[in-house]
Amino acid sequence: MLFPTVEYAVFFLAVLAISWALAPRRIAHKSFLLAASYLFYGFWNWRYVPLLFLISLFAGLIGQALQRTDDGVTRKRLLIAGVTVCLLVLAYYKYTSFLLLSALGLWGFVGHTPGWNISTPFLPLGISFFVFHAISLMGDIYRRKLREPLHLLDALLYVAFFPQLIAGPILRASNFVPQLLRQRSLQHIRVNRAFLLILAGLFKKVILSNTLSTRLVEPVFSAPANFHSVDVLLAIYGYAAQIYCDFSGYTDIAIGCAMLLGYRFPRNFNAPYTATDPQEFWQRWHISLSSWLRDYLYIPLGGSRRGVSRTYINLMITMLLGGLWHGASWTFVMWGGLQGLYLVIHRLWVAAPSPAVQRLRSSTAWPWVARLLMFHAVCLGWVFFRAPTFGLAATVLHQLGSHGAVTLAAWPVVLCLVLGLFGQYAPPVWRRSVEATMSRMPVAVNGVALALGVFAIELLGPTGVAPFIYFQF
Amino acid sequence: MRAYQRFSTLSQLAASVGAFALAALLLESGGLYDWAQRLDLGLERTVAMPVATALHRALAPLHIEQGRRNTLVELARIGWSDDPAALAEANTHTQPKELTPPPVAPSTVTVPLKNTTTVTKPVTPTTATVTIQPVPLRPDAAPGLSTLPAIPSIATGKTRTIALAGDSMMAVGMSSTILRQASLYKNLSFVHAFKSGTGLARPEVFNWQLEYPAMLKEARPDFVLVAIGANDGQGFVEDGVTYPFGSDGWKRIYQRRVQAYLDMLEENGATVIWLGLPPMKSDVYDARIALINRIDYSVVSASPHAIWVGTAGLVGDGSGRFRDYGEIDGHTTRLRQSDGIHLSDDGATLITTKLLRWLAVQEVPKPVAAPVTTAQESTKP
Repeated sequence: MLFPTVEYAVFFLAVLAISWALAPRRIAHKSFLLAASYLFYGFWNWRYVPLLFLISLFAGLIGQALQRTDDGVTRKRLLIAGVTVCLLVLAYYKYTSFLLLSALGLWGFVGHTPGWNISTPFLPLGISFFVFHAISLMGDIYRRKLREPLHLLDALLYVAFFPQLIAGPILRASNFVPQLLRQRSLQHIRVNRAFLLILAGLFKKVILSNTLSTRLVEPVFSAPANFHSVDVLLAIYGYAAQIYCDFSGYTDIAIGCAMLLGYRFPRNFNAPYTATDPQEFWQRWHISLSSWLRDYLYIPLGGSRRGVSRTYINLMITMLLGGLWHGASWTFVMWGGLQGLYLVIHRLWVAAPSPAVQRLRSSTAWPWVARLLMFHAVCLGWVFFRAPTFGLAATVLHQLGSHGAVTLAAWPVVLCLVLGLFGQYAPPVWRRSVEATMSRMPVAVNGVALALGVFAIELLGPTGVAPFIYFQF
Repeated sequence: MRAYQRFSTLSQLAASVGAFALAALLLESGGLYDWAQRLDLGLERTVAMPVATALHRALAPLHIEQGRRNTLVELARIGWSDDPAALAEANTHTQPKELTPPPVAPSTVTVPLKNTTTVTKPVTPTTATVTIQPVPLRPDAAPGLSTLPAIPSIATGKTRTIALAGDSMMAVGMSSTILRQASLYKNLSFVHAFKSGTGLARPEVFNWQLEYPAMLKEARPDFVLVAIGANDGQGFVEDGVTYPFGSDGWKRIYQRRVQAYLDMLEENGATVIWLGLPPMKSDVYDARIALINRIDYSVVSASPHAIWVGTAGLVGDGSGRFRDYGEIDGHTTRLRQSDGIHLSDDGATLITTKLLRWLAVQEVPKPVAAPVTTAQESTKP
């Protein structure tokens, strides 16, 4: 079920009404939300609901076992077993083809590859996200960040809760499970903020992302050799705007829906293209994933505690695996490698003792130069992220230097591009100002305003709703 | 900024959401009706259709829907929309009209046999049926790429225009591969005439009779390369009668729609190259696609201006069944997307490389796109 669809609107309004009606009865409320989440997932393909159930049940049982014992060795073994099983499931569904083709590719260097008629499984929607939730549940209990006794119902709902199920944000068990233990407050619902988030999310996805995708990015990345420098450059910028609007749009809607249901999700994006360095970028882009990778991968690897060289290695490993998490392809590994390289170069740059470097970094213009550099470094990464093969990525980059007619710079495309990129510079006070105005209006007026906004978005958006980019991960 | 009330109570939430729902129903009654019409046959549609219809009728006197459609056409007029049909309407009508699909032209089912001299397509309103021919799946038996007929060559200095038509079977993998390879063939130019999420089973959802001419704009393709039907494994309603997928009535009407689509593609003398749908991963879905292929093949193979290209022998295994992987230049590679439906770029390459080389054959002067004569017909497929 996609967010910007009638099906989801009907589903959500029904779930909203029933879940609040059941709010005083906690077990019934949570059971209902769990059933609704399975319905939401089953709407895509009911055959994979058992997989979702079994993974969350398994993580819940391991979590309970971890809470029952204080023996360090047993706890460690339980955690390793739990994480291994989760990763094996992820590997089977997501990486079988990648591993197989890579192995056959290596074999090809040695001799003729066997002509097996092999088949690989379908990729269950959102598997990367719900497997990470399962790992987070076990990890937080192992680290004793989640001290409240874990109930299986809470474990199941934490992994399957529908607003975040398909594409995040990746919730921490230590943050979300306690919310499930509290009584719903009937007085503290951030309705206006939720409405704004949902509207902003729909605007970013339906208008900006879809327009940029269909009219700029898709044509160029399908056949880059047919386009020239300006079109190709616009398409690269366009993809930067598209992926931001698509993914942050999804999470805005997810956060807004959860808010209306009385739950709080962490912020997932914070104007990422305003970042002046790679470290800051990852503090602003897909925050729930970057902090997950930091806490469950980078720090366990040793983080920056084992010397400079080891820090660089840990950064590279973390970002390479982060790249692989996004997709089972060497282009994603390349993207991750670039991000790791940027982080290493930035650390070297920060540590550079040269007075000239220090002077440059303290100049007034430097933040804007750095912002520009950072943005283009990110864009280079997006070329590999978007292109299905290295050859195509190379063609895209090569065509940047070719001269020819500009064919795709229609005014709606340029407008969407400008809004998608520079909208991130809108001061937060604007949003607060709108929220303040809404708080002074009669509540029914806000509801009507939301309906008008949705109507306008429906009119302005291209026909048909493309799936969210992050659904494939 | 002054402090403001961040939180609302449950009753305020109920009032806001209630107002939203009411206003949305009022504004979107037309959109909801369209949505309900587009749903696949089943419980959801059975419930939604009467509700949406009643709402749409009740609110029609408010003319909100007319305003909505006018706005869409105006948006096309100022260049915001790239919807070809809305754009065509904006260019041709000062007063926008209702975007209702015209009735599908009933076409004959007694189509002329291949390689006959018939030029004009007979269009007779009849409900008779032709025998649906099985599609040979064996690569050595299928009319695949190995049996492509001779076509007129392109005159020196001229280009051949090829329309890429169809649904996501053309949009995903196939079109991008063709357009990438196109840079090797300067004498071929391409027109985009495909759209994902469409098909021939549900003209009320996407009416190819309206949209295809708008997609072509001024172009007059010499050839049309079409891959369509992946979304057609579903029932439909016509004249208030429900036709479950695969029923006799369904086959008859679907065949009529395929014929009408083919007739439209062949207008102005274009030769249609119809790519059969490849075998699918899911057995249930594959069986549906096999029926669609059989119907398509029956229609296409009977046309003197159309060429059927079976793809099962290329991207399927030795028996024409689904396979995920295959070898290209000695390297094992994935031939299909992870959905088990669409072709990967490599899978599409198996089909397009030879097709484009065949289409780009040059040096003999290009024949005039006039009514086909008997003499020309002998060189036609």
